[in-house]
Amino acid sequence: MDIATLGGQILGQIPLGDIVLYLTPFNLFMFAGALIFTTLIAISRTETQIEAEFGSLKDKKVKVDLEEFKIRRFLAIVCGLATAGAMITGDLFNFTLFVALIGIVNIGIVSAVKQVDVLNAAYQYGLVAMIASMPLFAGAALILGATGTLSLFQLSQTVTTPMMYFASLLLLMGIIGETGVAPFYATKAEMFRTPGSPFILIIHLSSLLIIIRAIEILLIINKPF
Amino acid sequence: MKDIGQIWNDLANPKRIPRLFSVVLGLILIVGFFVPMALNDHQIYPRPLPQEQIDQENPLAPYDRGGVPLVEPGIVKAQYPQNSAKLGMVTGYLSPIAIGVKNTTRYYGTSIYSSPGGLIDEILYYTRGFDTILESAILMMAFVIASWVALNFTMRRRKD
Repeated sequence: MDIATLGGQILGQIPLGDIVLYLTPFNLFMFAGALIFTTLIAISRTETQIEAEFGSLKDKKVKVDLEEFKIRRFLAIVCGLATAGAMITGDLFNFTLFVALIGIVNIGIVSAVKQVDVLNAAYQYGLVAMIASMPLFAGAALILGATGTLSLFQLSQTVTTPMMYFASLLLLMGIIGETGVAPFYATKAEMFRTPGSPFILIIHLSSLLIIIRAIEILLIINKPF
Repeated sequence: MKDIGQIWNDLANPKRIPRLFSVVLGLILIVGFFVPMALNDHQIYPRPLPQEQIDQENPLAPYDRGGVPLVEPGIVKAQYPQNSAKLGMVTGYLSPIAIGVKNTTRYYGTSIYSSPGGLIDEILYYTRGFDTILESAILMMAFVIASWVALNFTMRRRKD
């Protein structure tokens, strides 16, 4: 499918050698949204949770200490920037690298917490993300083999072969695993239970934006309509 | 026969997710055996046939791209040649040490990445340089997380 049909008129390009980032109104909106949210996170403080204790009348205050706050803010900013980059990239392999970066940073954001359940869920998510990196990069490699190019501008012009449908399926599988959407959502849902709200939210926002962008890229490659 | 609510409940257990994901992925990969694989001959990043340069007893095999540094470009293709105007100009550069080693052995090309002043891969560092930055960023983030966890959950651990 044509890039201009999906995202609107191309407003400009940022050429970095073979990797050309392009700006359409659709991509630019998501790019700006990710950047604004990242800025908000960078200047905000974490929430504090109050947990009721079982068997007594006392409450327990769950706080994020300074060391943990610093590393989580850093990783959340990296995650936000990677999401913003994935929104405007015009190269398939570049996109998969951004997704892999988001996956590993998501594990890092929750790896600093002290709740055992959350760490357990993060470990399981790490396993899924590790397995998912294989179909993610294999999908991109198969598309390179089938078409001889990775640029989305070129891919929107080529004829779709059965091998490209299969490669798109693998790519989708990889993105589903890295972002943790249904039916593989349980690991990520458990990760949200920890305190430290704005940093947890970037995990959520990044998967939403990546899924939207992935659908756009799959439509560009496969041209179903 | 499980009803749909039972299936959703089973899916809510994080421990089952990696197994479920692997099973689904395995099924898709089995389907892949039946998909006709048709490679495109016009690849953007071409390579000579694997044995071609080795049969010619070229010491730089299989990485010889030709070219004279800063004079004549070697054989490196780009998707958008207008974005990388000087492509191929340094791909043939060898340091004096590398030239010395090259003259003593026929297998210099196989150790190309461990030698000082080896062949410069311009696809990696010029046309697709942004990818290389991202790859190193992924590695760096992995080390940041691993070292933070290793420090704070072992040496600096407080009792709580």
